Amino acid sequence: MTIQPKPVYLDEKLDEVRQSGRLDYRSKALPTWCPGCGYFAMVESLTAVLNRMQLPHKDTVIVSGIGCASRFPFFISTYGIHTLHGRALPVATGIKMANDRLHVIVVGGDGDGFAIGGGHVPHAARRNVDITYLLFDNGVYGLTKGQTSPTSVLGFRTSTSPYENPDRPLNPLLMVLSHGASWVGQAYAGKPDHLTEMIAAAVAHRGFSYLNILSPCVTFDKTERTYSNLGLQVADLPANHDSTNVAMAMAAAMRTDHPLLGLYYKEDRPTLNENLDSLAAKAGAGTPAAGKKPVRAA
Amino acid sequence: MSPATTDHGGKGAMTATDIQIAICGSAGDGTIAAGNILRNALATAGYRVISFDVYPPEIRGFGKCISRLRITTEQAYSLKEKSDCLISLDDSHTIPHVGEVRDFGAVIFEAKPVAQVPEGGHITAHVRPGQIPYGFSIREISEQATSSNRSRNVVALAIMAGLFGLDKGPFRQTIDSTFGKKNKKVAEVNLDAFETGYAVGAATFKLDSVKFGPPGKSVRQGKVTILSGNAATVRGLLDAGIDCYFGYPITPATSIMERLAVEMPKRGKRLLQTEDEISAIAATVGAGYAGARAATATSGPGLALMMEMLGLGTIAEVPAVVLVSQRGGPSTGMPTKTEQSDLNAAVYGSHGDSPRIVIAPTNVEGCYRCAGKAFEMAEAYQTPVIVLLDLYLSNRYETVVLANEAPFNPDCNKRWRRTERDEVYRRFAASDDQISARAIPGDEGGMHVVTGLEHNELGRPNDTPEIHTAMSVKRHDKLKAALRHPDFTICKRFGDDGPIDVGLLGWGSTFGECLEAMFMARAEGIRCAAMKVVMLSPFPADPVAEFMDDCKAVLVPELNFQGQFARLVQAELARPVVPLAKVSCGPMRVEDIVEEIRRLAAQVHQPLAAE
Repeated sequence: MTIQPKPVYLDEKLDEVRQSGRLDYRSKALPTWCPGCGYFAMVESLTAVLNRMQLPHKDTVIVSGIGCASRFPFFISTYGIHTLHGRALPVATGIKMANDRLHVIVVGGDGDGFAIGGGHVPHAARRNVDITYLLFDNGVYGLTKGQTSPTSVLGFRTSTSPYENPDRPLNPLLMVLSHGASWVGQAYAGKPDHLTEMIAAAVAHRGFSYLNILSPCVTFDKTERTYSNLGLQVADLPANHDSTNVAMAMAAAMRTDHPLLGLYYKEDRPTLNENLDSLAAKAGAGTPAAGKKPVRAA
Repeated sequence: MSPATTDHGGKGAMTATDIQIAICGSAGDGTIAAGNILRNALATAGYRVISFDVYPPEIRGFGKCISRLRITTEQAYSLKEKSDCLISLDDSHTIPHVGEVRDFGAVIFEAKPVAQVPEGGHITAHVRPGQIPYGFSIREISEQATSSNRSRNVVALAIMAGLFGLDKGPFRQTIDSTFGKKNKKVAEVNLDAFETGYAVGAATFKLDSVKFGPPGKSVRQGKVTILSGNAATVRGLLDAGIDCYFGYPITPATSIMERLAVEMPKRGKRLLQTEDEISAIAATVGAGYAGARAATATSGPGLALMMEMLGLGTIAEVPAVVLVSQRGGPSTGMPTKTEQSDLNAAVYGSHGDSPRIVIAPTNVEGCYRCAGKAFEMAEAYQTPVIVLLDLYLSNRYETVVLANEAPFNPDCNKRWRRTERDEVYRRFAASDDQISARAIPGDEGGMHVVTGLEHNELGRPNDTPEIHTAMSVKRHDKLKAALRHPDFTICKRFGDDGPIDVGLLGWGSTFGECLEAMFMARAEGIRCAAMKVVMLSPFPADPVAEFMDDCKAVLVPELNFQGQFARLVQAELARPVVPLAKVSCGPMRVEDIVEEIRRLAAQVHQPLAAE
């Protein structure tokens, strides 16, 4: 943790938060996570981004699956749908296909996204569905009280791997890059300002944006992805990183010993809805498939 | 759906046409293609046609293909037991079917096989006394007319048309539009083949008793057209204004998606081939949540994968339409054989108490209506709706009369509108009909979260006994209104009024056979009636019980082993029925139903004579 240059007083901070307007994007429900959970940073960052971009509440939908992270929609004051374990991406695809005007943000954890829901990630990525996927990667199943996840490190001990986790962890960044995600980045819950910038860029991207957010589980992981360990491990992407070069992005994604933060890859290509609309034009449809999508404020 | 009359005393006047033609060959002989031409030509000529093809699951190979068509002037409800004419394009496959030709019916076959035929291998050795054999040099005629033997199927068809004196015009028109699409030359070659074959047939001395009368006149207003069950389903979806479709290929539902893939982009609508059936239903629920009319189609294996998401649709009260074309099961089962064994899965499937609406059309016109009405119901009652088809219904063709105006309501939503600035929106608010006004994303002031967790009126997670009880009541009670859904037949009685000896309770594709069996039983003097049940969930207990009150015995014919519908009726009404459950890998035999009716009629008349 960095040392604050000058003291921050609670009342001043509260005033600042109230005046910022980002509490408008918080629902009346209080987050149910454990004190110290990295997910609090996500709520703060996302509400700050929604506020900064002034996305209309009525046109924003938060979609989630099942898990600690998936409780997220309840804490935001936009539309939300809390779906099934692993199925947030296809539900979000349906929502986006039904209405272009909606800003669709999917939130979920590593178990939800890469174990039970892993089959959907490649297809949302390759189709370039115009949604933002915020993946809260803490390497453990928290809601079911501490079991091994597909991103748990080798040797990790949990209630379902009491001796040690024998399975190599999956590399989410490498996976989405290889399946054609058009925006890929990584952030860390312990660096909230950077996280906010990354979420803002991900939401502003036109196409499928994937943000991997490293986050400690303070309750069920006391040894691996702790604030102290992650804080020492993470580093920024090198200054010469070329975010239009997918091979370079993949090489950076392989640096799992020192996770690199920043924008890995960005590509501008037609979204699923745009592709479907050009099909419709080829088939001779008189009008575009749905309402015109408004240009997003960055 | 079917004509509203109940006085089906006989099958029309004696001069009316009622002819069944079967074409049999090996995969690659053009058997199904010949059936398609015959079907479209006769429908164009103004006859009513029901046809159903049987083919192997392999695309190429030596499997048996049979195309059967029943051509009538009055509405018919199923294929007949006996065919009036059999055309053989491959003797080895056709020989086992010679027995289905009636006395003085015609058997048309190749008289000059290209190779030595082993003893008993030629069809002439199997034609029975009373059947009229017609041997033609089909291959030679094809080669003379087109310098190729590839038009054998058209030649055989043409010979039959000439023999029976059918009008050439509709055939020429059909051949031209069938082959002309690919290549004008191919159309010309086949027209030549047709003319040559027709002349041969017309010049043949006719010994059989197959007589075509003039085609009947359509009595109802509307567009007369010939459609398969799946094609009618697609029309229904389109006419009801489908916005989004999500699907994964699976026999026998695939052709629904294939047709929509052509039609939806033309209308500026969106279709997506998803990575599996789980994502297909997930996206359907997502689009439904966002206010679209969204649907997916599948078969039994896909339905099994969709179960968890159907439960989300139930608890989150999201409209979704799922068309399920059943095939033989369990597991991969028999992909190209018809069966009605997914009733339990459709009605009872998914975990927890997860009620939904299930409707099952009984004929091709019903497919159209049910597909369109499913959207209305899904919206009006905020629930998933399953439309249960099966392979026999999906793939069979019938002439249908469609209304000129689409008979569907384009918007059945009970929408929420904010009236006061600070009004708190209660997504699951209690109301008299248990249906809460719905806000959808994009609606001002209606922000809320829906969830698969049990929740209170606001949609917030809540697992108290009071809330879970109230919400369970809400989810079940609201569906009862579907039994009174406007302009929709949930069940209907045919045949004798008043007290009857044997009543038939039928559902799905088998109901056509039930009706035919009822006509035959009544012709034998048995007091008989049949009720089709279109809505399987919620169950129309009152009208079915009323019907059963009139019946001394109730027979439930269906194509599954367990007697799934019979069990449903018994569970709902606690009354005995007699199941007639068959897994015969094909449509139910009318004769099997009639036999059972006779047995039951004898029993009810001599209740004390039974041992």
